[in-house]
Amino acid sequence: MTPPVSEDRKDMPLIARLLSGVDKPRNVTRIFYVLIAFCVALGLADFLYHKHSYFEVEDYPLVYGIFGFVVYGAVIFIAKGLRLIVRRPEDYYEPLATDTEDERAAGSDADATGGRPNA
Amino acid sequence: MPELGTPALVYAIAALIVPFIRHNTLRQVFLLAVPVFGLLVFWQLPYGTYGNINLMNMHVGLMRLDALSYVFGLIFSLAAFLSLLYAWHVRDTIQQVATLLYAGAGIGAVFAADLVTLFVFWEGTAIASVFLIWARRTEGAYATGMRYLIIQVGSGVILLAGIILYYRETGTIAFSQMELGSPATWAIFLAFGIKCAFPLLHNWLQDAYPAATITGTVTLSAFTTKLAVYALARGFPGTELLIYIGVTMTLFPVFFAAIENNLRRVLAYSLNNQLGFMVVGVGIGTPLALNGTVAHAFCHILYKALLFMSVGAVMYRTGTSKASELGGLYKSMPLTMIFCIVGAMSISAFPLFSGFISKSLILSASADTGYFFVWLALVVASVGVLEHSGIKIPYFTFFAHDAGHRVKEAPFHMLLAMGITAALCVGLGVFPSLLYGILPYEVEYTPYTTTHVVTQLQLLLFAGLAFAVLMRTGLYPAEFRSVNLDFDWVYRRMLPAIVGGIRHAVTSTWRFAARVTLHRVDRMMIGIYRAHGPQGPLARTWPTGSMVLWIAVLLGMTLVLTYI
Repeated sequence: MTPPVSEDRKDMPLIARLLSGVDKPRNVTRIFYVLIAFCVALGLADFLYHKHSYFEVEDYPLVYGIFGFVVYGAVIFIAKGLRLIVRRPEDYYEPLATDTEDERAAGSDADATGGRPNA
Repeated sequence: MPELGTPALVYAIAALIVPFIRHNTLRQVFLLAVPVFGLLVFWQLPYGTYGNINLMNMHVGLMRLDALSYVFGLIFSLAAFLSLLYAWHVRDTIQQVATLLYAGAGIGAVFAADLVTLFVFWEGTAIASVFLIWARRTEGAYATGMRYLIIQVGSGVILLAGIILYYRETGTIAFSQMELGSPATWAIFLAFGIKCAFPLLHNWLQDAYPAATITGTVTLSAFTTKLAVYALARGFPGTELLIYIGVTMTLFPVFFAAIENNLRRVLAYSLNNQLGFMVVGVGIGTPLALNGTVAHAFCHILYKALLFMSVGAVMYRTGTSKASELGGLYKSMPLTMIFCIVGAMSISAFPLFSGFISKSLILSASADTGYFFVWLALVVASVGVLEHSGIKIPYFTFFAHDAGHRVKEAPFHMLLAMGITAALCVGLGVFPSLLYGILPYEVEYTPYTTTHVVTQLQLLLFAGLAFAVLMRTGLYPAEFRSVNLDFDWVYRRMLPAIVGGIRHAVTSTWRFAARVTLHRVDRMMIGIYRAHGPQGPLARTWPTGSMVLWIAVLLGMTLVLTYI
């Protein structure tokens, strides 16, 4: 099923129209490959200049890239583990918390529909 | 400008006038003029102490203008202006007055030359700012505001206790560098630590900021915590303990931010993490590190405000700030998206954005002084920042799955406020000398070296690649409507449960003891009644004959006993 894209697009602001389709699976894959290309280029760049480092460990080529990749993954997996321990239903602290209150009370526009617009 | 002593006075007088301006546009223009006049009070003055008063042989200085307080005064004035511009549409007098008093107290506090003035403004920020939370006018906001107020005023009371002890110890109330050691300085340190959201003292931040109004959170994000950073930089530079506190602060919020659904709370965790970088800078205490702290506070106020503004604009239009309810908004709010991404790239320290030129000072300072593990932890934390603020905030708001919100772009004044802030973020990133020129110490530092740019881009883009891989493999944690327990569970659930338990135990014991005692007394009364009551054996009328018989028996026994 395809939504009526062309009709929808006319109402979109210019920048949004230029960007539209960026979240289509085909384009997401393209962006992914562009990102890989950038990473490869940055990895190769390490061989082209003399690194000024503070610590010995910095001198290995690609060390920052590998470190960033591994740490990012580690952060996500540790956070997922943490979630198993600390996650509670949204109304856990009711009624002394704002978590389940209508967020529009914080000063939203009169037209705002709040959460779950498709529900 | 006439010499006013302190810019806080401008804000205080304006706060008194505001309620009497009935015309909306006039009132907004007046509000915007306040930070400008506040700035003019100290803008051109030569360094020195102004507003000197001798109070009961204590020297009070309302405005100490030096290289450190000047930068903070400048950025606080700028933050006040931008948050008031962002709040142009707000018609709530309480919020307007609270914003002015809060910003005024914040600026007053950074200029305080003595501890008593500092205390007065310190409490001022607490009391004025709580109204930005209560302005939501819901039961939950009232309770959250109360928790916030208790903790903030608590910080002030501990500060006052510390000041009194400090005065007894040293005979002066001047606010200058202190050494940790006596109860006085520990109390002052603790008071600063509460406001600076040290680990385990931090939960007021994540609790209160997402509960404030849309515009209130933008204002709140600028002042309280950065005032505490200023106070630490003034009072405790070079205190080694701060390095380890700061490192902890940069690391633990990263994990909580990654799984938090409320995007304004994600930003509050992120704020906590950024404060960690500044606290590490104060702890290292070298001129480069202190410059880093000041520069980072300056840049941080701008990009953090920008991020809160963009999430706030989304909340203004859609009515929610929860990641699970958002997505696909680039179609409706593309300008807000661009500003949000500028904020995200600034906080993640991409080259040419402000975070890059300020965070590097702190990282270089930690490497210069040989703290390898501190440096390593800060690099880890930098990847964490990219995760929760650099990717999560823009991605789940503007891309990800389309939640179906079809809304208008943010109002013009919000776009203007975000546009100016975004321009400042990029401007400082491209022209770092603008900021380096006003830092407290003379330091030669070049952020844009090949090594630095390439390594930083490697770190960030490979981390981004990890995100892409995790998304494509479905391993990235999905967003759910939920809350996550943090240390505040201790005082929101555990302590009330313990107190409730003790109350229950005392009540039960009392009831049990009362029941047992009453039972015994009843039994005794029944026994006495049985013996002495109208039908009791002791109350019976005995015939004279039986009495004589018993006396005879008694006498007979006595006789027998005598002769044995």
